Parts: sequence; structure tokens; C-alpha cells
Amino acid sequence: MKKRLYIELENCIGCRSCLAACTQCGGHEERNRNYVYDVNPHVNRQTMPLMCLHCENPACARSCPAQAIQIHETGAVLSALVEKCIGCQNCTIACPYGIPKFDEEQNLMYKCDLCIDRTKDGIPPMCASVCPSNTLQWLTEEEIEQKQRRHDLDNDKWVTSMPYLEGATNVKVNLPGILQGTEKLF
Amino acid sequence: MQRDKFFKEIENVEHPNEKLIKTHCSYCGMQCGMNLRVNTATNKIIGVEPRYDWPVTVGKMCPKGVTAYQQTNHKDRILRPLIRDDASLKGTKEGFREASWEEAYDLIAEKFGELQQNYGKDSLSVFSGVSMTNEKCYLTGKFARVALGTRYIDYNGRFCMSSAAGGFLRSFGVDRGSTLPWTDIHETDCLFIAGSNTAECHPTSMFRIWNVQERGGYIIVVDPRETPIARRADLHLDLKPGTDLALANGIVHLLVEKGYADEEFVNQHTNGFEETKELVKQFTPEYTSHLTGVAPEKIERAAEIYGKAPNAVVMFARGIEQQHKGVDNVSGYTNMALVTGKIGRPKSGVATFTGQGNGQGGREHGQKSDLLPGYRKITNPQHVQEVCNVWGITPEEMPKAGVSAYEMFELMDQKQIRGLYLLCSNPAVSAPNLNFVRNAMKNLDFMVCADFYLSESAEFADVILPSVTWSEDEGTVTNIEGRIIKINKAQEPLGESKPDWQMQVELAERLGKGENFAHLKTAKDVAEEFRLASKGGSADYYGATWDKIEKQDGVFWPCKDEGDEGTPHMFLDKKFYHPDGKAQICALPYRPPAEEPCEEYPLRLTTGRVVYHYLSGNQTRRIQFLKDMCPEPYVEVHPETAGKYNMEHDERIRLYTRRGEAIYKVKVTEAIRKDTVFVPYHFGHEESINLLTIPALDPKSRMPEFKACAAQMEKLEPKKVL
Repeated sequence: MKKRLYIELENCIGCRSCLAACTQCGGHEERNRNYVYDVNPHVNRQTMPLMCLHCENPACARSCPAQAIQIHETGAVLSALVEKCIGCQNCTIACPYGIPKFDEEQNLMYKCDLCIDRTKDGIPPMCASVCPSNTLQWLTEEEIEQKQRRHDLDNDKWVTSMPYLEGATNVKVNLPGILQGTEKLF
Repeated sequence: MQRDKFFKEIENVEHPNEKLIKTHCSYCGMQCGMNLRVNTATNKIIGVEPRYDWPVTVGKMCPKGVTAYQQTNHKDRILRPLIRDDASLKGTKEGFREASWEEAYDLIAEKFGELQQNYGKDSLSVFSGVSMTNEKCYLTGKFARVALGTRYIDYNGRFCMSSAAGGFLRSFGVDRGSTLPWTDIHETDCLFIAGSNTAECHPTSMFRIWNVQERGGYIIVVDPRETPIARRADLHLDLKPGTDLALANGIVHLLVEKGYADEEFVNQHTNGFEETKELVKQFTPEYTSHLTGVAPEKIERAAEIYGKAPNAVVMFARGIEQQHKGVDNVSGYTNMALVTGKIGRPKSGVATFTGQGNGQGGREHGQKSDLLPGYRKITNPQHVQEVCNVWGITPEEMPKAGVSAYEMFELMDQKQIRGLYLLCSNPAVSAPNLNFVRNAMKNLDFMVCADFYLSESAEFADVILPSVTWSEDEGTVTNIEGRIIKINKAQEPLGESKPDWQMQVELAERLGKGENFAHLKTAKDVAEEFRLASKGGSADYYGATWDKIEKQDGVFWPCKDEGDEGTPHMFLDKKFYHPDGKAQICALPYRPPAEEPCEEYPLRLTTGRVVYHYLSGNQTRRIQFLKDMCPEPYVEVHPETAGKYNMEHDERIRLYTRRGEAIYKVKVTEAIRKDTVFVPYHFGHEESINLLTIPALDPKSRMPEFKACAAQMEKLEPKKVL
């Protein structure tokens, strides 16, 4: 049963546990590859994670002149191959979200590989494993579809991510606003 | 075994040449399950893996939890005993030399002996903490009373959970922090959360809390700040710091007036309803609004939601407890559950968010100035006799009740207490009115500090004994739910460090009390004696064997014997622990904070935590990731207030009260009341906000009022800019 990373932006509490957990994955050399932003820090405490969405047709890989960015059979867009990366940083510029990071010393791009040594065996990535608020979840296609149906209000106010993102992604996102469609118990 | 919809069967990834040790986090009361990764060649802890099979937290961890393992083999660990011969260097990191355990023990025995000979048994004191196992907490109480023979022992729970304890004892006759397991929380219909910055202080509760809203339930948050949980709450009651009791009375008044009281429950299972009903009458929405600053409509809406909810849980934390009426605040909010009968059944109840890892267990077994194991009272002759039987002493040898944590510093100042054995705490950061407290520590004749890092408090010590981190010893901890869980050992003690229980056993021998301690050779030995000592008390752990804890994923106390599976839900039989079996609805007259704003000090100062740090920060400030995320304290100021003072974001300013001052960076945010400023308390030396806080103590719990005092701020002269 294929599972995907799913992001419920409404839930984020800004704890940055996902950043700390990212450093704990075996292949990550203790460097985190994701981001959490304060959306409007002088106004309120809203925060949001910015994770690689693992595009189906990733701009980072397309822009790479050295074919250093491989796509795993699971759809995960991998970190740059050390032996191929030429350090041009095209990928960071090409990525609509600015995800790939750059190590000046190694002259090497590194990015989220969706904890490939875990997710290839169906084990959730570290970020989704630890996320205390269920902002990051590891769900089956059916579970994601259920969520998307539930939050698709068809009221011009709200819906899931699909119409709004640039191109198809392996990671699915719900933008803030999920509670608008919730029917109160009493 | 409570496995709910969040539980998923997930295998852990296995790394070559590694083993995983199942345990729990070292930090807060959530006690999140975790697996420590141990390299099988070096036998050293090298990382963490989620513990998906822990039913409470299902693999989730906050950033403190994820990086907790980095404490164990940290470069700052103290590896051998340290002695400082030059007392003039007290209050600094300077002058320590390494020594053998023998020399350190000899010196302690000699100095403690001299002090007691010259000034009496009670010239010594023990100041302890509850971020350690039940076994250690238990033995520390015995060590103070039997090995040192002093009445003066108290602990940092006085700065943490003592108001919750006092309030629950008065309302229910028993102090178990949560009347229901955490696996119930997401299934309730309304969470009323007062004075808890849950998303930062207990982050791994959040997936359950958000689920209440996703199911169509309600979250009501009471807080002077728009914390992350308040931002998404259905209702945010943004009260002035220190006015909780007025709000609680106002809501109870509305619950009664609008017909939400459960008369049958009230009549059969409670006392005090009529007096309370009469007292809260004056707390109309308008009057309550006048006192608290919360709009009357919001108060009415809160009462309506809570009143209508089929099931509801009232939750609170240090925000309401760290006040000089903290106990009244606890009983005041607990009244909501008692008046409406929303207690004593699944999915309804009352809970406090326990701050320290073992805040619950650590306060039950004899570290408090007036308590003995099993929540027994040292003032009750029968209780004393029961404990004497286990300890092998006579009732005449049992010291009398001592004084509370802050009051011990007052006695140090008065030279009544001249020696201190400090462990598992850092009062040089966490106590209020720090100029006074630090001075009291500096003027001690002799001070021992057991710690694994050189804390700000250790800087005042003559001898430092290197203790172990949580991962180098085993034992039990009682989590936020009242569930007794097992901490497992993942690594041998680093350097020459030792667990606290072992130091105390060895020191007891030097002090001539070997016969009462020498049989305790392992943590398990201490556990067996501790279970026996708790037997028959209200916090009865006798049936909570390590085997049962392992088999059942923890054991909720009370657990009286081998056949008892424990008590996840309290009061299911509607029997409370007062002699008549009834709960007490409390009539509580309102009192304002001890120090109200005035012309000279027009701001309300409140303090708290950030998600990246734990307590005094002695551990978390050393972890690079956490330090990077929050390297220094700051003062949160509303933009309108900042404008009045002509202050800008990131500007360094002077914040001061009648007791002290400090310089902080301004953090401008609309997420705070205009009359209130907030500073996180995790920082040491001149950055400690507790230099400014007020030592106004609750009359029952002796909890200082960390959460409200009057303050003023001013721009720095250009030359003062750091």
C-alpha cells in the first residue's frame, strides 16, 4: 500500500521538531533539509513547514546539467549524487520553493530525499514520525483522498492543494482553513 | 493497553552495529516514548529513533526530545568529583580541581559533621528536584531524614506543581495530576485549557488536542498571550495575568445560572455547592470582565460551550498555578467540572499538564518538606510509624516538617541553614527574586551540588559530585497521566559519574548510617524498598512492579497489589478521597495579584517557556540545535506598547521591577496583551528573568507568583547599549 507524505498546514505549531528529526536520518549527515517559517511574526504565531514536495516532474532535476538529481522508483527526488554534482546551484534557483540547500565546503547540493532508506520500506520519514501536531503525516492514498474530499467545500473558499500548486507532486498539501468545513458537534 | 486510532504498527529501521533501547524522554511530564540508538562496538548512545509502539505519544517527539540523547556524551559532562578550596570564588566557574570520590566523600562527611555538631542537625538542608526517577526521589527523602537527620528538605516542585497538588487535595482529597488517561483527550467534546502554552510546553499533546476540533469539538484557551494553541482555539479568553480566580468564579456563576449544574451529581457526590453558588453570584460577566479584562461575551460563550458539551476536560498548567493564589485557581477551575458533574467518567475530567518529567511521582514520595512516601504526612504519627517500619528508625528519630523551597533560602540568609546538598535542580535560575537567592547560596558555610553539568547553581558549590544523565540508570517515572513507566539504561555512566541513589547510599555510610542504606546495591533494590514504603498510602505503588509496567505499557496509580492492573480513570465509582467520599466544591474569594501595576511600574510581567528549552536550560542550552533556535531570552511587547516607549523590534532595553533588572531584546508581537510583557525564564546569570520576579508565596502550596508582577521598562542610554 503506497503511502505519501501529507502536510496539514493548519496544524503547525512551529516547534521545528521536523528540522531536528531530519538530522537523525541515517543518510542525512546530521544536517536538516527542511524549513519552517514564521508566517507573520509581528502579528501572530502562525508557522508553516516548507518541505520538498517531490514533484512528479521536478524542476531541480530538469535544471541539473550533470544529471546529479535522481528520481527513486517511489517518486522521491533524491539528494545530489556526490560524484556528479558540480555545485552550480541551478536546482535551488529552478525549484519553485527553493528547497535544495548548498554546502559551500563540499561544493555539493543536498536536499530532502524523503528519508529514502525508510520510505522505500514503508517506514515514515523522520519528520512525519515525530511531528507532534500531525502537520506532517504519512498516509495511504485512500486516507489522503478522504481528507481531500472532506476539506473540499466547493464554496469558493477552500480546498485542497491540487489546483494551486505548480505541477503534480508526490507530497500532498492542505492549505490552512480545514476547520471551515467542520460541522460542530453541538 | 490503550491503543487508539493514532496507533500504527510500524517497524523501526535497523542500523548495522546498533541496538535500540526502549525508554522515555528525559524532559517534561509527557515522557514521550523513544528508542535510544546505541553503538554495539563502543556501547555509546549515538542517536534516537521514534518509539511508535508507545501508546501515549506513538513515536512523536518535540525538538527537545529528538535531541535529548545529545546530553549523555556531551563535552560539558562532569566526569570526576570537583572540589573548590577557595571559597572566595563561589558564584563563579573558577577554582575547581578534580578529586577522587574518596576525598569528596571525606570532605562532605567532615564538613556536614562539623556544621551539625556546632549548629544542630537542622543546620543542613537538601534541595532536590523531580526530573529524576521515583527511586531517586524516594531515596533523597530518606537520605535527608535518616542519613543527615535534618528536617530541611524540599524540592523544585514548589516552583512547578505544588499548587496543582494543593488544589487537587482540597477538591478531590487526592492529588493525581490527571483524572483520565491522555488517550481520552482527543475523544472529548470540549477542552477548556487555562494557563497552558501547550503547543510549546507539551507539544506531543497537540495531535490529540487538534483532533477535538477536527471532530467538531471545541477548544477554549485562557492565556494573556495568543500562543500557538490560542491562535487556533474556538475561543481565546485573553485575561490579565494573575486574574484566573475571577474568571473561574465568573464561569461557575454562569454554569449555575444558566442551568448547566448537574444537581444530582452535586447533591450526591459533593460538598460546598451552596456556599460556592452564593460566593460566585457577584462574578457577573461584567464584574468578571472588569477584573480580568476579558470581554463579557467571551466569558458567556465559554460557559455556554463548556456547559453544553456532553463531555469536557478542564486542563491547566503553570499559568494558573504559579500565582500566590495558585491553589485557589486550581480548585476554582476544578469547580467547573464538579458543578457540572463532568468528572469520574471516560472523556471527562480535570488534568494539569505536569511540567517536569517526574513532577507527579517526585512529589508523592517524600521530597516535600512535610511528606513521606506514599503521600503520607510527616505530621501524622501513624504515617510516620508506617514509614519508620520500612526505614528501620524510631518515630523519635524522624525529623519534623521543614519549610518550602523558597523559605529554605530565607533560612540560609538568616544562617539557620548553613549547609546544602543540592541535586537535580538549578535554583540559581529557577527560583524567584534571584538576587536574594544567589546571595543566600553564596553565603552558605558549605554546599554540595550533584549534577552532570556545571549549572549556574553548581557555581556556588564547594564540592560537585558528577551524577549521571537519565540514560545511564534505570527506574520508574510517573508521567503526566499518573502512569508509572520505566526508564531504561542505555549506556554505562560516563567517566566516574554515578547515579544519585548510589552517591546517597555511599555517603550515608560515611555519615554512620550504613545499616539503613547498605542493602541498596542497585536501582531495583531501591525500587523494591520504595514500593513497600508507598504501600497503604494514598499514592500506593506497591502493585506497580517493573514486570507489570513492561507488560501493560505502564501502570496507573493507585495500584495496591500484584493482581491490581492500576487505575487509568479516577473516580469512576464517583467516590472521592475525602473521608465522606465526596468532592469539595470550593467557595473562593477573589484576590488580585500580590503586586498590581502602579504609576512607577505600570506593566504586568509574566514569564514562561519556549519549545526549545526545558526548565532552567542547564541541559537544553548546551544542545546546539536548541541553542541555535533560541540562543537568548527576549521580552515580548505589543506594538502599541512598544510605540509608547519608542522601542523597536530587536532593540535592547532595560526591564526592571522592585527586585531586579535585566537587559533584553524587544520582540514586537500583537500576540500579547497591551498591558503585559513576557520573558522566557530558561536563562542564567544576568539574563535570568527571575532576577525580577516576586517571591509572593501561595499560603498553602508555597508557590511563588512567577506569573504576575509589576514592571517597567526603559530605553538604554546609548552608552549602555551592549
